[in-house]
Amino acid sequence: MGEPLLTTQKLSNHFGKVCTALDLDLSFERGVLTSIIGPNGAGKSTLINLLTGHLPVQAGKIRFQGRDITRLPIHKRVRMGICRSFQIVNVFPELTVAQNVMIPVLARAGRSWRPIRSLSRETALMQETEAILEKVALLPERDTPATALSHGDLRLLEVGVALAAAPTLLFLDEPTAGMNPVERVRLLDNIRQIAREGRTTFVVVEHDMDVVFSLSERIIVLHRGEILCDGTPGQVRADAKVREVYLGDDVSDLFRYREE
Amino acid sequence: MQSYVHVILAGLSSGMFIWLVASGLTLIFGVLGVLNFAHGSFYMLGAYCSFTVLKYLGAGYWAGLLLGPLAVCAAGFVVERFFLRHVYRIALPYQLLLTFAFVLIFDNLVKIVWGGGALSPPSLSFLGGSVPILGRNFPVYNLFIIAVGPAVALLLWALLEKTWYGRIIRAASSDREMAASLGVRVPALFTGVFVFGTWLGALGGGLSVPYVGLLTPGMGETIIIEAFIVAVIGGLGSLKGAFVGALVIGVLSAFGTRFFPAFDMALTFILMGGVLLWRPQGLFGATR
Amino acid sequence: MKAQTRNAVAAAVVLLALCAVPFLSGKFAIYLTMRIMLLGIFAVGYNLLLGQTGLLSFGHGAFYAAGAYGLGLFGVHVSTHPLLGVAAGVAAAVLLALLVGTLCVRHTEIYFAMLTLACGMMAFSFFWNAREITGGDDGLIGIVRAPVSLFGGIRMPIGKDEQFYFFVLFFFALSVWVAHRIRHSPFGLALAGIRENARRSEFAGVPVRRYRLAVFVLSGAFAGLAGSLEALLESNARPFMAHWTHSAEPILVSLLGGLSSLAGPLVGSAIFVAMREIIQRFTENWMLGFGVVLLVIIMGFRGGVVGTLSALFRKATAPGEG
Repeated sequence: MGEPLLTTQKLSNHFGKVCTALDLDLSFERGVLTSIIGPNGAGKSTLINLLTGHLPVQAGKIRFQGRDITRLPIHKRVRMGICRSFQIVNVFPELTVAQNVMIPVLARAGRSWRPIRSLSRETALMQETEAILEKVALLPERDTPATALSHGDLRLLEVGVALAAAPTLLFLDEPTAGMNPVERVRLLDNIRQIAREGRTTFVVVEHDMDVVFSLSERIIVLHRGEILCDGTPGQVRADAKVREVYLGDDVSDLFRYREE
Repeated sequence: MQSYVHVILAGLSSGMFIWLVASGLTLIFGVLGVLNFAHGSFYMLGAYCSFTVLKYLGAGYWAGLLLGPLAVCAAGFVVERFFLRHVYRIALPYQLLLTFAFVLIFDNLVKIVWGGGALSPPSLSFLGGSVPILGRNFPVYNLFIIAVGPAVALLLWALLEKTWYGRIIRAASSDREMAASLGVRVPALFTGVFVFGTWLGALGGGLSVPYVGLLTPGMGETIIIEAFIVAVIGGLGSLKGAFVGALVIGVLSAFGTRFFPAFDMALTFILMGGVLLWRPQGLFGATR
Repeated sequence: MKAQTRNAVAAAVVLLALCAVPFLSGKFAIYLTMRIMLLGIFAVGYNLLLGQTGLLSFGHGAFYAAGAYGLGLFGVHVSTHPLLGVAAGVAAAVLLALLVGTLCVRHTEIYFAMLTLACGMMAFSFFWNAREITGGDDGLIGIVRAPVSLFGGIRMPIGKDEQFYFFVLFFFALSVWVAHRIRHSPFGLALAGIRENARRSEFAGVPVRRYRLAVFVLSGAFAGLAGSLEALLESNARPFMAHWTHSAEPILVSLLGGLSSLAGPLVGSAIFVAMREIIQRFTENWMLGFGVVLLVIIMGFRGGVVGTLSALFRKATAPGEG
């Protein structure tokens, strides 16, 4: 596989007395679809916030493709190829679906600064926008304002906007939250297909065990800011510590997939 | 030495007026999240209403101080209950411009009702006169004001920290939905806080009548800018910050007027710029 | 494409009407139309900041004043050539906007509004106090309207209002055209993204702070242009131009006309100036009426005049649905 895409060294973070990340040493390989799971408060969102630049790093280092990005501002990390989607839909409300996706497309092409050129002349970039809309199955809605979309379509748009920045490494924060089963299947199929194309590596934070076990090649289990287990779905299922932490309903979910 | 002490005292008394206006502004912002441009107008209305009670109803100074601000509370009630309440969830520019619309309305109403010229109130008998401090006379009324400021601060602190009502206000201001789901009637609470804040501003206006000696329709505009600066320097939403800020601005302005008259106006703005550059959230403000 | 052609036709009609004004009306109407155009330039540039990017600045009067004093001082000390004077005024405004913007743009919402207010008032205080340079509260006098001399020996006199009118009209049309292009450019879309969701814009790779500064300076340039034109029109520059009550004018006017369209600030300017002139004849307290109008708009018609009218128009022409 060659050099890992992203590595962290002793990454730590705490809010007051609460430790949300403790000396995390992680590495993410290109093309390996990874899921991050863990009970509430385990530090999953904090980890994504730290890696994408949403939260400033208190201690430790982050390296992307060999380069130290620990202090890099968000938009520079995006330009380098790290992007994320949000747990709560975080799009551009009054703009149309096409406009939503076009903003990152323009930014990545380095064209968003042009003040006089007409948008309609950027045909190549418009085609790219439409290609992305097609990938997330939102092309028919291209001229609908985001506020008029259904919840499921909004979540698709959410992923679409993140994809539009053509990231090498894309963090999805609970992408299927609130979706009905049909929508969920559709989104997962889209993710699988895009991952197969090879240009984007996905790291997905999820609560839903269906999604996690059907999608991932690698699972990281977080607990109280520390890595409890890190391996293939089979390894995670068999791990005693994981079973201990997930006492209760989730354990039976984990065991259900033994029959896969 | 004597002039320094007098300048400080003058600064303290003018600072206390700014504190009175800023306290209402800060309270309203801290609880309701709204920056009320019209607060200066309530100050002005407080002064004019107290003046009217004094002059036309022939009642004494204390009656004016009591009744004037209460009349203004009615205006505050109308503004919140029928207008402001409907724009809480809308973008900031609209809220600011709504209160600004009321500035235009109130300022012009005052001109219509009381005339556009300056009014001079009758002189005070009770707290009038001056006392010698370090060899120079200083008005008794100003000393009274210097005492009223901290008294109001103490009152507010006691209200918010020590009473059950104050606890509910603090809860509602930090989490509106949570308080509502716990049974607090948030809309009524907000109206109450707004009216109380209005009363504080109007009280400042009423107290200013003997101090400024002259009432003009523009008096609201000048004090609201100073109150804003004080509130921002202290940290929007922090009463402690507003009090400290008012003291600092009052004293510094007094020094400015006395020793550097050319920079007078700019001094307060430069100070605000300086504070915000160093601490973007103000001295005691919350880091967002 | 229907909407685009319709807008182009409307713009052409308005332009023609504006060209016709000096030939069809008296001195007062000419003067009034020029004042509308000046406020229009100020407001249309300001709306790039407010309506397009979502930033509320209370200090843009400072850049207006910088434009006026810039042209005035240039004219008194260097050269009275109007075009150079306008360039000097705009340059002064741009420099000041760069300085103020760099200071203020790192803050958001209320603190941004308050800081810009403070900067505006500091500028006001400077113009008021620096008597030797600016003339203090008497304003800067001695500004003349020298003829515009271009290459090829062409000299166009602008001393008379009817002549100066076309000078103003030229810059007005230019400003509106530039604002229009910006709104429909990739930069304009990025600005709209910043307005709708600044955080997400960061995550889309848009350098938010840099773009905010850019549009701040751009709107300052428009303000400076309007200011320098007013200095030529009125033959003076006054400190009041930097006062926050003057800074409030483009805000009120854009809101009145509608924040989300190009025409909004222009329509608002026309209504505002016309209202002020007409009502001022009857009463001194015309601002009271304006306050009430503002109240009505915020409470129910946030789209402003243009927004409300286009919504009504859309409903009327909608294909018979419920």
